[in-house]
Amino acid sequence: MAMTGMRGLSVFISDIRNCQNKEQERLRVDKELGNIRTRFKNEKGLTPYEKKKYVWKMLYIYMLGYDVDFGHMEAVSLISAPKYPEKQVGYIVTSSLLNENHDFLRLAINTVRNDIIGRNETFQCLALTMVGNIGGREFAESLAPDVQKLLISSSCRPLVRKKAALCLLRLYRKNPDVVNVDGWADRMAQLLDERDLGVLTSSTSLLVALVSNNHEAYWSCLQKCVKILERLARNQDVPQEYTYYGIPSPWLQVKTMRALQYFPTIEDPNIRRSLFEVLQRILMGTDVVKNVNKNNASHAVLFEALALVMHLDAEKEMMSQCVALLGKFIAVREPNIRYLGLENMTRMLRVTDVQDVIKRHQAQIITSLKDPDISIRKRALDLLYGMCDVSNAKDIVEELLQYLSSADFAMREELSLKAAILAEKFAPDLSWYVDVILQLIDKAGDFVSDDIWFRVVQFVTNNEDLQPYAAAKAREYLDKPAIHETMVKVSAYLLGEFGHLLARRSGCSPRELFSIIHEKLPTVSTATICILLSTYAKILMHTQPPDPELQNQIWAIFNKYESCIDAEIQQRAVEYFALSRKGAALMDILAEMPKFPERQSALIKKAEDTETDAAEQSAIRLRAQQQTSNALVVTDQRPANGTPPVTQLSLVKVPSMASNADHNSRDQGLTEANGTLSIVDPQPPPADLLGDLLGTLAIEGPPGASVQPGDGIQSEHNVISGLEGLPNEVDGTAIVPVEEHTNSIQPIGNTAERFHSLCSKDSGVLYEDPYIQIGIKAEWRAHHGRLVLFLGNKNTSPLVSVQAVILPPSHLKMELSLVPETIPPRAQVQCPLEVVNLRPSRDIAVLDFSYKFGTNMVNVKLRLPAVLNKFLQPISVSPDEFFPQWRSLSGPPLKLQEVVRGVRVLPLLEMANLFNSFRLMVSPGLDPNPNNLVASTTFYSENTRAMLCLLRIETDPADRTQLRMTIASGDPTLTFELKEFIKEQLVYIPTASHAPAPTATAPPVAQPPSTSTASNDPGALLAGLL
Amino acid sequence: MIRAVMVMNTQGKPRLTKFYDFQSVEKQQELIRSVFGVLCSRAENVSNFVDFDSIFGPDTRLVYKHLATLYFVFVFDSSENELAMLDLIQVFVETLDKCFKNVCELDIVFNYTKMHSILDEIVFGGQVLETSSAEVIKAVKSIG
Repeated sequence: MAMTGMRGLSVFISDIRNCQNKEQERLRVDKELGNIRTRFKNEKGLTPYEKKKYVWKMLYIYMLGYDVDFGHMEAVSLISAPKYPEKQVGYIVTSSLLNENHDFLRLAINTVRNDIIGRNETFQCLALTMVGNIGGREFAESLAPDVQKLLISSSCRPLVRKKAALCLLRLYRKNPDVVNVDGWADRMAQLLDERDLGVLTSSTSLLVALVSNNHEAYWSCLQKCVKILERLARNQDVPQEYTYYGIPSPWLQVKTMRALQYFPTIEDPNIRRSLFEVLQRILMGTDVVKNVNKNNASHAVLFEALALVMHLDAEKEMMSQCVALLGKFIAVREPNIRYLGLENMTRMLRVTDVQDVIKRHQAQIITSLKDPDISIRKRALDLLYGMCDVSNAKDIVEELLQYLSSADFAMREELSLKAAILAEKFAPDLSWYVDVILQLIDKAGDFVSDDIWFRVVQFVTNNEDLQPYAAAKAREYLDKPAIHETMVKVSAYLLGEFGHLLARRSGCSPRELFSIIHEKLPTVSTATICILLSTYAKILMHTQPPDPELQNQIWAIFNKYESCIDAEIQQRAVEYFALSRKGAALMDILAEMPKFPERQSALIKKAEDTETDAAEQSAIRLRAQQQTSNALVVTDQRPANGTPPVTQLSLVKVPSMASNADHNSRDQGLTEANGTLSIVDPQPPPADLLGDLLGTLAIEGPPGASVQPGDGIQSEHNVISGLEGLPNEVDGTAIVPVEEHTNSIQPIGNTAERFHSLCSKDSGVLYEDPYIQIGIKAEWRAHHGRLVLFLGNKNTSPLVSVQAVILPPSHLKMELSLVPETIPPRAQVQCPLEVVNLRPSRDIAVLDFSYKFGTNMVNVKLRLPAVLNKFLQPISVSPDEFFPQWRSLSGPPLKLQEVVRGVRVLPLLEMANLFNSFRLMVSPGLDPNPNNLVASTTFYSENTRAMLCLLRIETDPADRTQLRMTIASGDPTLTFELKEFIKEQLVYIPTASHAPAPTATAPPVAQPPSTSTASNDPGALLAGLL
Repeated sequence: MIRAVMVMNTQGKPRLTKFYDFQSVEKQQELIRSVFGVLCSRAENVSNFVDFDSIFGPDTRLVYKHLATLYFVFVFDSSENELAMLDLIQVFVETLDKCFKNVCELDIVFNYTKMHSILDEIVFGGQVLETSSAEVIKAVKSIG
């Protein structure tokens, strides 16, 4: 066993290896760090060897996960050591330990430059490596010319030049101006004539970076790339050391083909012909062999060739040849090739019309859905989804349903959404569609979002032929012993509306329907109770002649809920009770729901979003995106039931102004009640949609009933926009078609949802539209936060007039580094944002972001996930610590207690998980009562410093919709803010909803929000504008 | 661009890590832990690819190789070809094997400094620098 030259380091590493546990390791590391710190303090006595040894130890400790926040100066100073071994350590450790913005780096620029322009080749290499790893803007400006000189120098050895090429790439990324396009384009072309394959590989990487920003300037390189590819494919003049398992440098082949994908087309027929010859040779000459490494290498080249063929949009013949190859791959033993085969088939579907050829492989793809490897299963699901059409929908959807029961939890939500969409898009007949959705809810209710059942209701409402069938199916499911709550919702809704169509069947009399539905009431949540009440009212209305016994039973229920704590339920109970005493008038008021206007499915939109989430910045993907959206426009227009699309206004039975005014004066009391019903927005989004859906039911009616026209229209409008997932543009006339928007650029995905998901995780996409993707990555430490915004231009032309302004709430100090005015094509810029939390508050910071693309000016206001829980640090406390603290914080304002109602029903374990996800650490068993939860956390802000917060939740097993919560901390504001924050989380859990951006601080209890409470939250105010 | 290279053993202990875009030490550890969490639950004879968006952020891929007691992991974005990355892991491993004659975990543990030199000759600032293990060994030898 070869040993490293430094005995001290080896001894330290074996000590660490001998540690029995993490605690011992920590002690050993602390001892070492203490030692190093003391030795560095009196640096005079330190030999260069010792210094080197200590700095290596620091790097090793850093890798183990301990923060090494000293000794950076020593590491940097080693760079200027005269001898190689010390210098080497200095460069390696500096580039691993420091980031590009570190102040000490600036001090080293001169030394680094001297090493680069000096004559010592090894020093040049070290310096280039460090700059290539962590060089920032300043390095770019001062070193780029020297690095360029090295790269094109004829006296430099390949060892140095290949590093210079990649170093220049880094500097170019930091500041594109350092490469002067006019001067450099010819040089770049010359570099591609290089014979040394090491230098050529690096130069090609540099070329990829350059052409991805500006392909026009590097046109002359295109032919050179094809030449390189020909040389490699024919294995001409390729030295042995660059032949990898018999394949001439697969990396260089791949890179060259990647570079070619950045040129939009190849016009020159000669170049095109030579290129296609090479590609043909690659496609035909690659076989699956026994040697795994050889396979990997040859297929790396092959898959890149496929990508290039797709990009060049080759003749159909070549495409079907590609599909045939892929068909072979998805059946091979080699899992990597199966995986890539499936992935590339999916990609191919998006760019060309090869669906029919791919369909031949359907059986094999379905088999892949059962592959032991989850990576492969996911690719198979994507592909099945992409290749589905009317001809194979039944088979594919049934496979997906079957797979649902055994699928990993990680895949179920995606799986059920995809099955629902396919069933909707390609249903050969609508009863099949209803069957599929009900099966979905039955098998995977937890993973079926509200959009899915809303959509089935819309379909049934709009298709009379379907109504008896759907009602009968719903009735069947109610007989099952345990059904999911979503099934209760959809069955109750369908039977309320269409149950009377089944009247002659056994078990379907109004009384029987009522009793089987009513059986479910004790087990369901508040939102579902609302639906059940509406169902009862509808059953009552449909029972002709009236059944006095049933009537009394239902009235008793309405009576009971008239005093319900939940405002929405209470209101429904009061109104239905009053309405149902109006006798025959009830018939008109509670008449069947009108047809919903035809519109694009919210589900399909959602799927489109998830697809574009992983937007790849390649030309292929860009084109694919355009294609998907075209396809959607087509489905959008497809009338599902043959009836022509109708405008909303024709659907709403609007009373004339005159009669209404007349009526107003007579029956003002009730009008007001109704008015509230339509305006009240009492529930968080998912329930809100529901409220709207049912709200219309009570309001819509002929002039005889007390209705305000404005309300009726607005409410109908709400239903539409709510279900659509489109911004809610409430306007008085409401005749604007929903699809039409003043802003022509629409975000991709639900921006509000993205924000919510970022509240509990630290990286992801904040915003996306067809031109830009804004990603975010955050690190939190005590009351400090560092966010990095990733602004990625998805286009082939630059985004200009880019502006980003932070509107911080008063409790956050935020500093955004300079955002460049232009984002080059397909480039990503990173803008760090520093956050300091001054004091506890739930207010939210907003990013006001704008850019110009072509003639479009886009401006969006985005909430930033610098929310309260990011400044929490979970801490576990023992009973001995907890109880004295708990007692010492006695009573308000430090300790607050509140009974929260309308809580989303969660098993206790899930509630604990929810708390943990927000960094409130639950201590199981600390509270002797198993229905209670106790959690603790530390909150950090500049004012409060580190402050311990304790929390206790007492749930009521008899009524899970309410609980008592007690919060204590050493700061009154903190206690209050934290209490409100937790309340929000308990009442509203962001699910996949498509409601208009909900305000993060939406009042959690079901009470009408007063606009004044929302107005002191800038986040809430601005979110309304989104 | 390659975003990170990790070598860890089958107990999750890091043996060599290098991040090509800066990550705080806490974030590094979190990433190492999540990578290990995913890898240790994967069976033998499955593909070498793992969906990684949820851990490392959008547009990231992960390719790994499991050899004896070690995982070799490369994390990178869509500008790289997955199989070519897998080949590069193989080059890295073959180079180590040539340097240490039948490389085992202990060689890697005790030759920490040399591991860095070797990796720096293969991956440079997140880009592929050299793909010929003969050339890598030549370069590492010349710098001692």
